[in-house]
Amino acid sequence: MADTPRKPLRSPSKKPKQTSSSSISLTPQTPQAVDPPRRSSRRLSLKLDQITTPQKPISQLEKPNKDSLVEELETPHKLVKDSSRTRRNSRKNESTKNPESKTDYESANTPKSRTKVVEVEVSFSPASPDQLETKKRKRREDKDRKVITRAMASKMQRVNRRAIRRGFIIRKWCMMVVNLKWFSFEVLEAASEGSPRRGLDLRVLQARKLGMEVELPTPAKGKRRARTLREKLLSSDLWAAHIESTWKEMDGSYWFKGRWYMIPEETTAGRQPHNLRRELYRTNDFADIEMESIIRHCFVLNPKEYAKATEIDNEEEDGEDADSDEDWISSKDAESGTDEDIEYENENVKNLCARTSSAHGLAANSRKGQFFGLQKIGTKRIPEHVRCHKKTELEKAKATLLLAILPKSLPCRNKEMEEITAFIKGAICDDQCLGRCLYVHGVPGTGKTMSVLAVMRNLRYEVDAGSIQPYCFVEVNGLKLASPENIYRVIYEALSGNRVSWKKALHLLNERFSNGKKVARGDDRPCILLIDELDLLVTRNQSVLYNILDWPTKPHSKLIVIGIANTMDLPEKLLPRISSRMGIQRLCFGPYNYQQLQEIISSRLKGIDAFEKQAIEFASRKVAAISGDARRALEICRRAAEIADYCLKKSSSNLDATPAGKGLVGMSEVEAAIQEMFQAPHIQVMKNCSKLSKIFLTAMVYELYKTGMSDTTFEKLAITVSCLCTSNGEAFPGWDTLLKVGCMLGESRIILCEPGARHRLQKLQLNFPSDDVAFALKGNKDLPWLAKYL
Amino acid sequence: MGFQSQVEKAKNLLRTRLCNPNFIIKPLSDSPDSNYCKLKFTISSSITEACNNSILLVGPRGSGKIAVLELALNDLLQEYPDTISLIRLNGLLHSDENCAFKEIAKQLCLEHHLLFSKMSSFDDNSQFMIAMLRECGLAHKTIIFTLDEFDQFAQGKQRLLYSLLDAMNTVTSQAVVIGVSCRLDVDQLLEKRIRSRFSHRKLLFLPPSKEDVQRLLEHVFSLPTDSSFPHDYAAQFNGKLQNLLADDRFKEIISSYLDLNSTINHLVRFLFIVVSLWESKSGFLSLENFKSALSSIQRQPKQECIKDCSILELYILVCMKRLEVKEQNSYNFNSVMKEYRSVHDSFQTSDYYAWDVCLRSFERLIQRELICFTDNRAHGQSVEFRPVKLLVSYVELQGGLKSYRSCPIILQKLMDH
Repeated sequence: MADTPRKPLRSPSKKPKQTSSSSISLTPQTPQAVDPPRRSSRRLSLKLDQITTPQKPISQLEKPNKDSLVEELETPHKLVKDSSRTRRNSRKNESTKNPESKTDYESANTPKSRTKVVEVEVSFSPASPDQLETKKRKRREDKDRKVITRAMASKMQRVNRRAIRRGFIIRKWCMMVVNLKWFSFEVLEAASEGSPRRGLDLRVLQARKLGMEVELPTPAKGKRRARTLREKLLSSDLWAAHIESTWKEMDGSYWFKGRWYMIPEETTAGRQPHNLRRELYRTNDFADIEMESIIRHCFVLNPKEYAKATEIDNEEEDGEDADSDEDWISSKDAESGTDEDIEYENENVKNLCARTSSAHGLAANSRKGQFFGLQKIGTKRIPEHVRCHKKTELEKAKATLLLAILPKSLPCRNKEMEEITAFIKGAICDDQCLGRCLYVHGVPGTGKTMSVLAVMRNLRYEVDAGSIQPYCFVEVNGLKLASPENIYRVIYEALSGNRVSWKKALHLLNERFSNGKKVARGDDRPCILLIDELDLLVTRNQSVLYNILDWPTKPHSKLIVIGIANTMDLPEKLLPRISSRMGIQRLCFGPYNYQQLQEIISSRLKGIDAFEKQAIEFASRKVAAISGDARRALEICRRAAEIADYCLKKSSSNLDATPAGKGLVGMSEVEAAIQEMFQAPHIQVMKNCSKLSKIFLTAMVYELYKTGMSDTTFEKLAITVSCLCTSNGEAFPGWDTLLKVGCMLGESRIILCEPGARHRLQKLQLNFPSDDVAFALKGNKDLPWLAKYL
Repeated sequence: MGFQSQVEKAKNLLRTRLCNPNFIIKPLSDSPDSNYCKLKFTISSSITEACNNSILLVGPRGSGKIAVLELALNDLLQEYPDTISLIRLNGLLHSDENCAFKEIAKQLCLEHHLLFSKMSSFDDNSQFMIAMLRECGLAHKTIIFTLDEFDQFAQGKQRLLYSLLDAMNTVTSQAVVIGVSCRLDVDQLLEKRIRSRFSHRKLLFLPPSKEDVQRLLEHVFSLPTDSSFPHDYAAQFNGKLQNLLADDRFKEIISSYLDLNSTINHLVRFLFIVVSLWESKSGFLSLENFKSALSSIQRQPKQECIKDCSILELYILVCMKRLEVKEQNSYNFNSVMKEYRSVHDSFQTSDYYAWDVCLRSFERLIQRELICFTDNRAHGQSVEFRPVKLLVSYVELQGGLKSYRSCPIILQKLMDH
């Protein structure tokens, strides 16, 4: 890995410094060097406080140090807890010690040259690191995980991969532990290097090399350092992002998905007077970033917490401020204001002022809290059934047939996808970029949304490769909107990241698309708007659809709208002014035929030997005959696999024998799955219902034949029932009982009926064809006489 | 008094058993064909194999859908602790989407010890749910949504179901949606897009067969032969029970009861009455208990209602019947009064009351739902002008008159023609 070659470089560079620092080895505290793991070192350091240790050993210890760190990472939760406790303790102790150390320091160091001084400080005053950490602690409790990253391009920060790999297994949350631990080194380290304002790149790089060695409990300077990184951040040399997810690429590199934070200067509106110095905005901008570009953990707090955190901050800082030398003082002056101001995390510039009450800011389900605290959910350990289970063929088949799994290839829709690609490319690559509109229709489960999204993915690769100009893509689902008007809000939020009311959003969008007013930098990009379930946007006066479809016709809108819906004649059902805007270009997704369905299923099942070939064909023919819905076909196959699996597992558990046969899914399982899915259960229920219900149903059929009318009243029916009963030697149960029976049948919708309170006026009607009743009741053994009347 | 206390103890035991749905359902759910096994397998396979499923439990009311579901969920919660979060919704309470999403968010927050805000909007809550689905999927945790009265969710735009099922089909999550409904056509109620996303596992709950009922009775009533009861009492009790169960008269009672409605819940309600009627003096359950329970549960409320009427009310009912026989389809209090007067004039009955007295008893009949207004619209109109209808059938009315203690003979005569 990247680290190893550099190691030799580092140690020489380190040497001279250490000699310089050794000169002041009188200073009471250099405890950390003694024991390798950082956390425990902290604890020990308290005892060792008074003992002077030569700093030399550090370099030898460095290696083990790293390993033990890694070791620790394996039990992340504990680690965090422990460390917090020790930190807190140590903090108390150390703060009492602070004054001495300070005086020591002052007396010893003032005469020295600046570089040395810095170095000394590093090895020295225990108070501030500690305070730095308490700060971290606090924020960690908030469970906010943020990382400062460098621009993606920068190759420099090489994180110890091993550590990360371990961390990765345990998931994000410990990822952060890695970062935290790791980077606290660097930070320190950077501090030792000196001037805050220098170009970070090399600095930090070196620093971190060194950092591993310079053992730890860094002093006031560490704090400074943190501040310098922060300054970088605030001057947009560095960026902060929120880690949303992490993964490993095929080539073994680790990536994460980050959500960027912005400083006020980077927003469309620029820095506003009300913005505070350390304020950050969260954007809706996501990026996939290589893990290596992470520098360190940073904490983005909401105002309330931040205010609390800074109080402690300030107290401690006061103490240490006394001893800083001129160099630092200058930088401090510049910053003097910063400690008072508050670092806001805020998603909305507009709301900033209004948002004084943060009472609900932390609630998990409000967006203001950004689903605060979701990372708590992570498992403590991976459950046994996930880790140790080896999947059988059937289980593999079930997994690959899941609808949520996106197959590697999307067969059977090439023509449509080409058409969509051509449409979008034509619209984007056009210099004018005249807005256009495409209407995609087809029955559910024919791959409409999937195809469009697949096209968009491909286009993104092309954008990355540079062959197309960048565009922005907004996806809206009509059924997920609380009301049709909300679509403006959602679109505007997706485009600009600001949340405003829908009226305001409409106004702003109108300004952008109709009047061609481009406010922000990205606004001149073409915008592709995908509206799924378009028919849900139809309001009474259809203004929502009209507005949206009107924008593309404006000269500078650069808006491309793709609407998806089920009905092919939706444009015709709308007002002519809308259909003339939407109906020009259409794309139809026909239902799949059975060969296509077969191809879809078998392409998913490639390499898995679980299905008989005819079984797949049978399922796809059946579905093609009914709906041509690919989801349905996949579900039938999955259900069939499930049935086969069920039989297999039951039989093996009963007999305690090895599963017999290969457990292939055959015709019978598919048949059973189709039965379950398509057959209405009413016949079975009628066969099994109580005796009176059967008589009741028979009487209904009899009445139907007699009168030819589909509906009857309870009075007539009761009379018929009593006739049937008396002529066949059954006891007539009484009207009220009969009414109850009727209502029960009505509940399960075998018959349709009015409320029972209407008694003899209650209207009744069979909900199923009378033949079904006849079929269900004819062969009845208890009541053979029913057949006479059916 | 040792014997008495034993009987009390036995009674208590039987009552606890009858009130515990798990105990009732257990013996019926051990075979691999039972719904319990199938349901448990489906849920547990979606836990272990990290997949999404949606299941419908369909069956008439009282057939034990929820009981089976609870039994399966309890077992799974023990088998996979901390990997399951249960979200329970009821269609009668949460059919409004806004409220349903809020409830989901609330229960999710509660489950995971997160802070819940009741102020957050529809969008927030639905996105929170999707975020949670994703997060739980990553953490190998399964969210089980049980939607009771599922048909209520399948009304209107069905946004809840759409968001839920769409999220399950696009996000890598592990979630199981279990819909419980007594409507057999519930899957036809789903909108086409939702039906396409629903995975259509369907379990049908049917009433138990005769053999199952017999097994259930034995399971419920037999006392344990371990140390909790004196051995000879338990043995004697169980011996008598066996005799009873084999008795044809007993079988007849049970089957005549089940003729009405053969679901489990219905049966259990009957058995509870039997236990309540069991007197401590006789130490053992007897056929009499079952007989009296049957007669106490099979009642004809309308006829009993007629028995409680006054003579004047009977006159009014009979007059209404006469009007209907005359094919006068729409009539109100005034026309009833006209008929009443003409009856009085032609037969010179002794029971003639003033107009306002009649109106009062007319109103009382309305309150008892023996008659009703045919329209609900004209609320402003006074009672006497609104058209009414008789809610008792002629047969019931006649039966009621016959069993009435001191029914004037003239009334029965009037009834006949």
